[in-house]
Amino acid sequence: MNRLQGFLKQLAPHLGLVAVLLVLVAIFSTLSNNFFQMSTVISIANQVPDLTFLVVGMTLVLIIGGIDLSVGSLLAVSSAVLGVLMVNYEWSIWAALPIAVLVASIGGGVNGAISIGFGIPSFIVTLGMLEIARGATKVVTDSKAIYIGSRIEWFGQPLPGAFVSPAFMFAIATVVLGQLFLTRTVWGRYCIAIGTNAEAVRMSGIRSAPLCIAIFAISGMMCGLAGLAQTSRLSTADPNAAIGIELAAIAACVIGGTSLMGGRGNVIRSFIGVLIIQVLQTGLAQVGVSDASKQIITGVVIVVAVLIDALRTRWSRS
Amino acid sequence: MKVALSVRGLTKSYGNVTVLNDVSIDFYAGHLHALLGANGAGKSTLCKIISGLVSASAGQMSLGGGDYQPGSKQDAEASGVQIVQQELNLIETLSVAENLRLASLPNRWGVLRMSELHRSAREILDRFGLPDVDTHTIVGSLGVGKQQMVEIAAALARDARVLILDEPTAALSGSESEELFTHLTRMREQGVAIIYISHRLEEVQQLSDEVSVLRDGQLVTTEPIANINREKMVAWMSSEEEADDDSSQPAASFVSHRRDEVGLSVQGISCGMVNNVSFDVRRGERLGIAGLVGSGRTELLRAIFGADVADSGHVLLAGGEAVRFTHPSQAVEAGFAMVTEDRKQNGLLLTQPIRANTSLAALATKFSAKGWIRQTAEAESASAIHASLETRCQSLEQLVGTLSGGNQQKVAVAKWLTRGAEVYLFDEPSRGIDVAARGKLYELFEELAKQGKTIVIVSSDLEELFETCDAIAVMSAGRMVTKYERNDFSEDAILEASFAGQESQLTTALSDDKWQNEEAKP
Amino acid sequence: MLTAIITGPGPQRDLTLSGQVSKSLNNESLPMVQSACRSKTTTIQRVVCVAAVLALMVTGCTSSNSTSQSKDEGNEKPRVALIMKSLANEFFSTMAKGAEAHQAEHSDQYELVVNGIKDERDVSRQVALVEEMVASGVDAIVIAPADSKVLVPALRRAINAGVVVVNIDNRLDADVLQQENIAVPFVGPDNLAGAKAVGDYLAANRKGDKVAILEGIRTSFNAQQRLKGFEAAMKEANMEIVSSQSADWEMSRANTVASSMLSEHPEISAILAANDSMALGAIAAVKSAGRAGEVQIVGFDNITAIRQAIEEGKVLATADQHGDQLAVFGIEAALEQLGDSSDSVASIEDVETPVDLITSETLSNE
Repeated sequence: MNRLQGFLKQLAPHLGLVAVLLVLVAIFSTLSNNFFQMSTVISIANQVPDLTFLVVGMTLVLIIGGIDLSVGSLLAVSSAVLGVLMVNYEWSIWAALPIAVLVASIGGGVNGAISIGFGIPSFIVTLGMLEIARGATKVVTDSKAIYIGSRIEWFGQPLPGAFVSPAFMFAIATVVLGQLFLTRTVWGRYCIAIGTNAEAVRMSGIRSAPLCIAIFAISGMMCGLAGLAQTSRLSTADPNAAIGIELAAIAACVIGGTSLMGGRGNVIRSFIGVLIIQVLQTGLAQVGVSDASKQIITGVVIVVAVLIDALRTRWSRS
Repeated sequence: MKVALSVRGLTKSYGNVTVLNDVSIDFYAGHLHALLGANGAGKSTLCKIISGLVSASAGQMSLGGGDYQPGSKQDAEASGVQIVQQELNLIETLSVAENLRLASLPNRWGVLRMSELHRSAREILDRFGLPDVDTHTIVGSLGVGKQQMVEIAAALARDARVLILDEPTAALSGSESEELFTHLTRMREQGVAIIYISHRLEEVQQLSDEVSVLRDGQLVTTEPIANINREKMVAWMSSEEEADDDSSQPAASFVSHRRDEVGLSVQGISCGMVNNVSFDVRRGERLGIAGLVGSGRTELLRAIFGADVADSGHVLLAGGEAVRFTHPSQAVEAGFAMVTEDRKQNGLLLTQPIRANTSLAALATKFSAKGWIRQTAEAESASAIHASLETRCQSLEQLVGTLSGGNQQKVAVAKWLTRGAEVYLFDEPSRGIDVAARGKLYELFEELAKQGKTIVIVSSDLEELFETCDAIAVMSAGRMVTKYERNDFSEDAILEASFAGQESQLTTALSDDKWQNEEAKP
Repeated sequence: MLTAIITGPGPQRDLTLSGQVSKSLNNESLPMVQSACRSKTTTIQRVVCVAAVLALMVTGCTSSNSTSQSKDEGNEKPRVALIMKSLANEFFSTMAKGAEAHQAEHSDQYELVVNGIKDERDVSRQVALVEEMVASGVDAIVIAPADSKVLVPALRRAINAGVVVVNIDNRLDADVLQQENIAVPFVGPDNLAGAKAVGDYLAANRKGDKVAILEGIRTSFNAQQRLKGFEAAMKEANMEIVSSQSADWEMSRANTVASSMLSEHPEISAILAANDSMALGAIAAVKSAGRAGEVQIVGFDNITAIRQAIEEGKVLATADQHGDQLAVFGIEAALEQLGDSSDSVASIEDVETPVDLITSETLSNE
C-alpha cells in the first residue's frame, strides 16, 4: 500500500502533462478514423528522434540558466559533415559519425567557453553561433543537398519486426541517461544548484565554470546525434535542415515544465513535451486542417499545456 | 486610549498546516506594540495579513473603527498601513532617490523631473537623519545596513497610521539603531501605532508600551510592558521544556577551549576597503569581530575565503603554507567554511529541498560513488544533522524558501557541518533568528570549539559576542583597531574602538571626490 | 496483471484498472512487460514500465482494427493527399484552392487531404508529412517537393507501401530516382521552355544588353530549369548575364540581392526573376535605386500581384503555368493510375501542362 502511494506520489506531478497528451490522442482519434492505429504510432516514433536529442541537451542548458539557440545550425553542420565525408570521401558511417558529432560538440563547447568564460549571456553567443554554423554548413555542402541513400537510411527506419528505428531507441536511451544524469549524479545536482543560485554554489566552494561549459558541449553533442537522426530519416544531408527547430525544442522543454530562469527541469517531461508537439503535428496533418489553423492550434496548445501544468501545480500546493 | 487597529480571530492555514490560529489583538494609536515569538510562531504571518501581503483564512480587522480588508499591499498602504519587511524590498539597480519615490515618481507627461526627484528624496533622508547618503547612489552599492535604513526612511516618508517593522535593527549598527529609535519615538508622539518585531529583548523592554507573545501560531498573552521582565518574555516564548533549559543563559557557563596551535593566521590582507588586516586565531578559539556596519567585516571574511580576491596579503594555514585564495573552492579544499550574512542571496538554494541544500558542499567528497549520488547516505546524513540541530520542517524535501529565518540558517550551517571544516567563518550568524535557535547555535559554537576547530564570528550584536567568544577584535573603517580578551570585555571600550577608525577614514576619504562633496555641505 | 506491476508483491490485487487494460492488451506482447516490470523497481524502471504499458495499450488495441479499417476504406472512395510547399506562397495556395474546388465538384469520386509546410526550406517537415500520410492510409500522394533530392527516399517508401505517387510542380532529381530504383510520374509545365519564352520576349523588347538573374533555391529542379531557360534565351539574343544569384524564392531576399546587384553593376538593363515574388522584390530595389523605368523586370508564375505590375508597366512579362490547375492535373493523373488495375510500369508517364506567356498585351485582351 505504501509503495502504491509512494509511486502515485511520484507520478502525480507528471499527470497534468500526460493528460494533455492523452486528450490530444483522444481528440485526433475521434476526428480522424486513421489516427488511432499502429502505423501512426510508428510514424510518430520515427519522427521524434531529432527533436528528442535536441531537447535532452536543451533541458540541461536551460537548467543551468542558459539557452542554446544554435541547435538547429549545429544539427545542420553535423549532418553536412556526415554527408560530405560519406559521399565525397566515401567514408563509412562509423568513421564519419564521430567526426560529425565532434564538430557539433566543439561548436557547443565554444558557445559555453565564450559565454561562461567572458560572462556574455548565452542568448547572444548562441545567436552568433546560429549564424556561424549555418554559414559553415553552406560552405561544407556548397549549399547543395547531399544524397546519401541506404547507407544511412537504416538508422532512421523501423527495424524489421521491431516497429521502431535504431534512432528512436537511441533517443529513448538518451532521455533515460539524461534523466539519470540530472537526478542521480553529482554533476546533475550541481546543474540544478547553479541554475537556482550560482552565487550560493560558488560560496559553497564549487567550481561551476567547467561544468557549465561541458553542458553546452553536451548540447552540441546532442545536436550531432540529432543531425544523424535527421540525416538518416531524410537519407540526405540538407544544408537547410532544422531551420527554426530551436524554438520547437525550447517549446517542448517549457511544456515539460523547464524554467527559462534555470534551476528547474526534467528530461522525461521535456520528452513528453516533444510527444505533445509531434502528436499535434501528425494529428493536424491527418485531419487536414488549413495551414493557418494549424499554426493557431499549435500555439494555443503550447500555451494551454503550460497553463494546465501551472494551474495543477498551484492547485496541488494549496 | 484610542484603538488604531484591531484584529479579531485571525487564522491562516496552508493546506492542513495552521500557521496562525485565532489571534485577537488591539493596537493603540501612539503606542509601540512589540510582537515576540520563536521562529515560526506566526509573527511574520500576522504582519503580512495586516499589511495586505497575504489574506487571512478567517477573522476580521478594523482600522480606526472602520472595516479593514486590504486586498493587496497597495491597498494597505493607501489606508495608511506601512510595512518594512525583514527582506529588503529595494530595487538594487536604481538610485536611492528613485527607490524612495518609486510609487510616485515626480514626472511631467511621463518624463522624470530629476531635480524634483532628488530634492524630495534628499528631504526624506535628511528628515530621517541620513544626511551622508547621496540620493544618486545606486542602492546595490550600499551596505545591507544602509539599505535597511533607506527602506525604513521610505516607509516613514509615506503617510502612516500603522507602521510595521519586522526586525528593523537586525542589520543596523548601534548608532543606526539609536537613530531609528529617535524616529520611532517621534512617530509615536504623532499618534502612529507601531508594530515592532524584534529578537533583541532589551530593545523591546526599552521601547515598547505593550508586548504580545505568540507561540506556535497562537497568542500567549498581551501585557503592558510594566508587567513584564526579560525572564517572563523568554518563558512565554519558549515551550515549557525549553524554558527549563538554561541554554538561554550560556554566558554563565562559558568555558574556553582555546589550544596553543594557531588554526588561522591572517597576514596583511587588503581588499577594497579592508586595509592591511592581520590577526591570529588559535584552534578551539572563538574570535568575535565587532564593528559598525560598513566597517569592512564582511569584506574581510570574503577576502579570507576567496570570495573576493585580496589585493595583497595572505592566509597562513595550520600547516604553515601561505596562500591567497582566488576562488572559494580552494578555501573549502583547505578546510574553510563560511556561513554568509545574506543567506538568501549567496547561502541557500531557496527553491530546492532541505536535503539538497544540506549535502551541496559535501556532495563530491562524501556522497559520490564515481559521480553517482549515494542517495541513501545523503538522506540519512541530512536527517541526522537536522535532528541534532532541531530544524523545524515537515520533511527533508520541504523547500528551503518556505522555512522561517532561523530554520533557514540551520540549513546553511548544516551544509558546512556536513562537509566538515577546520576553520569556520560566521557572518552575522544569528541575524533574524529567535532565542531558541540562537541558543542552539551557541551550543554548536562551543561544540566546534571543543573539537578544536577555529572559529571566527562577525556580529553586530555585542551581547552575542560577549556570550560566545574567547576574544573580540574590533574593526573600524577597514582596519582592525584592537582586540580584547574575555576578561577585558566592555561595551563602552568596544564601541569607542568601533568609532576609532572614523577620523582616519575622513582624511583618506578627502581624496575621493564624492565624499569631498558631501563634506562641503554643512 | 497490471496491479502487480504497480504495487509490486503487495496484497492489493483488485484494482479495476487491471481488467480493462488486460482486455485491451495484445496477448503476445504481455510477457515482455511482465518480465520487465517484475524485478525490484526503481523510479526509472517504473517510468519505462508505464511508457511500455501505454505504448502497448495504444498499439495493442489498434493492431486489431487497423486492418479492417483500411479494408473498409479500400472499398470506398480513394483518399488522395496533396502535399504542397509553403501555403503562405500565393502560388501554392491558389493551387490548393483549385484542387479543393475540383474535389468539391467530384466529391463522389475521391477524398482530399491538403497539407503544406511553413516555408520552402522546411524539407524535413515535408518528409514527415509523406510518412504521416502513408501512416494514415491514403491511396495516393500528389506532391510538390520542396527539394528535388531529399524527398525521394520517403516517396520510395510510400510507393513500397502501395501508395500511388505523383510528382507536380518541381521535378524530382532523375539521378536519385534512378539510385532509389523508382519511377514517379511528373505532371507539370516545362519550366525551361516557359522561362525561355519569357527570356525571348525580354530580348525582343530589350533596352540594353546587360542583364542579371535572380535564381530560386539552387537545389530545386525548377530553379535550375528556369535558370537554364533564361540563360538559353539570353545566349541566343547575345545578351550578357553580368550577375546571377539566388534569392531563395523570397521577396525580401530578392530585394536585398537585387539592390546589391544594381549598385555593383549599374549597367544592368534588365532583371530576370525566377518567380514573381522575387520580381516584386526587384521592383522595389529598382525604385529605391532611382532607376524605375530604366531597368526591365520579368518574372514567372503569374500571381495576382504581378498582373497589376505588368499593367502599370513595372514588369515586362511573366509566365503562367496555370498553377490553379496544376494540382488538379496531378490528382487526375493519380486517380487514373488508381483506376488502372494493370499496375504496369508503362502506365507511369509524365504529363506536360501548358505554359503561357503573360504580357501587358495578353492582359488587355482578356
